[in-house]
Amino acid sequence: MVKIGIPRALFYYYYYPLWRAFFNSLGLEVILSPQTNKAILDDGIKTTLSEACLPVKVFFGHAMAVAEQVDYLFVPRITRVEPKAYICPKFMGLPDMLRARLQNLPVLIDTVVDAGREGDSIQCWEDCFQEVGSIFTRDKQLVDSSIKAALQAQGQFKKRLNEGMLLPQALEDIDVAEVAAALQPHLTLKIGLIGHPYNLYDPYISMNLIKKLYTLGVSVVTPESLTDNEIEDKSNKLPKRLFWTLGKRMIGSALNFYQNRRLDGLIYLTSFGCGPEALVEEMVARWAKQRDDLPLMMLTIDEHTGEAGMLTRLEAFTEMIKRRHKV
Amino acid sequence: MGIDVGSVSTNLVLIDPEGELYLSPLYLRTQGQPIAVVQQGLALMEERLSSEDRICGAGTTGSARSLAGVLVGADIVKNEITSHAVAALREVPGVRTVIEIGGQDSKIIILRNGIVVDFAMNTVCAAGTGSFLDQQANRLNLSIEDFGDIALDAKNPVRIAGRCTVFAESDMVHKQQMGYALSDIVAGLCEALVRNYLNNIGKGMDINPPVIFQGGVAANAGICAAFQEALQTEIIIPRHFDVMGAFGAALLARDHIVEQDGKTKFRGFGVTSLEFQNTSFICQKCPNACEIIEIKQEKDILARWGDRCGRWTVVEAEAKDSQPVKA
Repeated sequence: MVKIGIPRALFYYYYYPLWRAFFNSLGLEVILSPQTNKAILDDGIKTTLSEACLPVKVFFGHAMAVAEQVDYLFVPRITRVEPKAYICPKFMGLPDMLRARLQNLPVLIDTVVDAGREGDSIQCWEDCFQEVGSIFTRDKQLVDSSIKAALQAQGQFKKRLNEGMLLPQALEDIDVAEVAAALQPHLTLKIGLIGHPYNLYDPYISMNLIKKLYTLGVSVVTPESLTDNEIEDKSNKLPKRLFWTLGKRMIGSALNFYQNRRLDGLIYLTSFGCGPEALVEEMVARWAKQRDDLPLMMLTIDEHTGEAGMLTRLEAFTEMIKRRHKV
Repeated sequence: MGIDVGSVSTNLVLIDPEGELYLSPLYLRTQGQPIAVVQQGLALMEERLSSEDRICGAGTTGSARSLAGVLVGADIVKNEITSHAVAALREVPGVRTVIEIGGQDSKIIILRNGIVVDFAMNTVCAAGTGSFLDQQANRLNLSIEDFGDIALDAKNPVRIAGRCTVFAESDMVHKQQMGYALSDIVAGLCEALVRNYLNNIGKGMDINPPVIFQGGVAANAGICAAFQEALQTEIIIPRHFDVMGAFGAALLARDHIVEQDGKTKFRGFGVTSLEFQNTSFICQKCPNACEIIEIKQEKDILARWGDRCGRWTVVEAEAKDSQPVKA
């Protein structure tokens, strides 16, 4: 069977159900790289330029981890998934960066995904898949039905997230310990966790942030639990439309979380060297200052971040909130 | 008893049931040997105690708090933010800003009505901390003790780039070669450090009086004057400014014991004569290759940490109930 490799990084966290369903329905085998580990991170760091952000470095490690086992590597060139807003420029260039830095790559499928016009956010994937499908089959009907299956799977995935399921479960990568911990009654605080899913939900990059919070008695809500409309509604209130799709998700989530009266605090996890975030982070921090009742803590991660420093901050932050509640 | 094991110094403090300092605090250099220094500190403490004295509770803080906590059998192991805040509140009940600058790290704590509402710690960069001053004093052939007072003699402090220690250093060398007076250069360095602190750690914080300045660097009159100048407010230096973390840990331990009406887990001064071995090994169970640290007391494993998965850490929970040691 033909094997398609998908790196467990970046867009995996947004589109894996869509991709998996499409390829499976075409009759191809999807091979996912393993969970991020030290070897993957080291490989990624060695191969990329130092300017790349940590998530891109990790992506490289994943691409390398899966490359040898597959016939094709699926790295679509995603430029726009909605009109008038763009995906991060580094992410657009992923196929080029891979080709420039790695030899002996399997065939790279770098079909463009570009939603130029209104209502194209689904059409852009249909166009992409038509092109990708033609690589493997001449059976137009099979491609059409595979696209349908893909969109259905993605719809199901979004629905699960909106119902409050955490991303790893919704992706069907169930981490039992995390699920079990989530159900424990000792969780006394609820914190809004802002950050890109490829940081928040990669336990290696985030240094087990979500699990650490659970052990401190904190449950979390993340941007993934919000619908696209909720995010769009709030980010539209800005005087000028933000033109980064992923950055807009951060702004929109922050504004939604600020309105949510049941949260005890916010934590914003950013990766060092992220261009759009330099702006978004500052805006969120300024809003936070106007809200005395909802403390915000910024955490920046990079390849050399020590786990002890992160734990000290999380402990101090939750301690601060608990002591506040006592008064 | 409160023990603060930091990267540069280790402090031990005893308090009486009222929370007043009992005997004078101990200030030792950690010198990269946290276990030995804790044992040394305990031995020194024991010598000064009379036979009627009894340790009713112990708390640890600082970057080696877990390690120290295991060694002495601490009742509470608290992060530095909470410990420093608790001590500051005890000294100046209405305090609203705590500036803390230690050997390798610095922090700011914002309090309102006796509650921590915000805090920040320096990230990976140690610019603007005690070790930076140490190095520069060394370069100028001054002892760190004289450094601050020399700054006070300055007529026209020179402007030195404070963004980064590397820049600061080359800038300072340049100013020396140009022939500026020593006192003006030293004062310039103090101002640079303060500027660096306020721009990084203090960024976006509402610094309101009363402002308390603690940590080892508070001994430096030049830095204190520079803060006074920059903030245009009186800077209070508490009596025990250099052991505030340990003082806070002691207060927290006392509160914990009183609240729980409990008996202390303190293992007694016998631990000073025990042999502890700390070893590390690399776990081969998965590609993460975590470095596991193991603390052994003779043949018994007291604690292990450093693993991401928790496979080895389990021992720590069992170790917590370890029996007191007979002196």
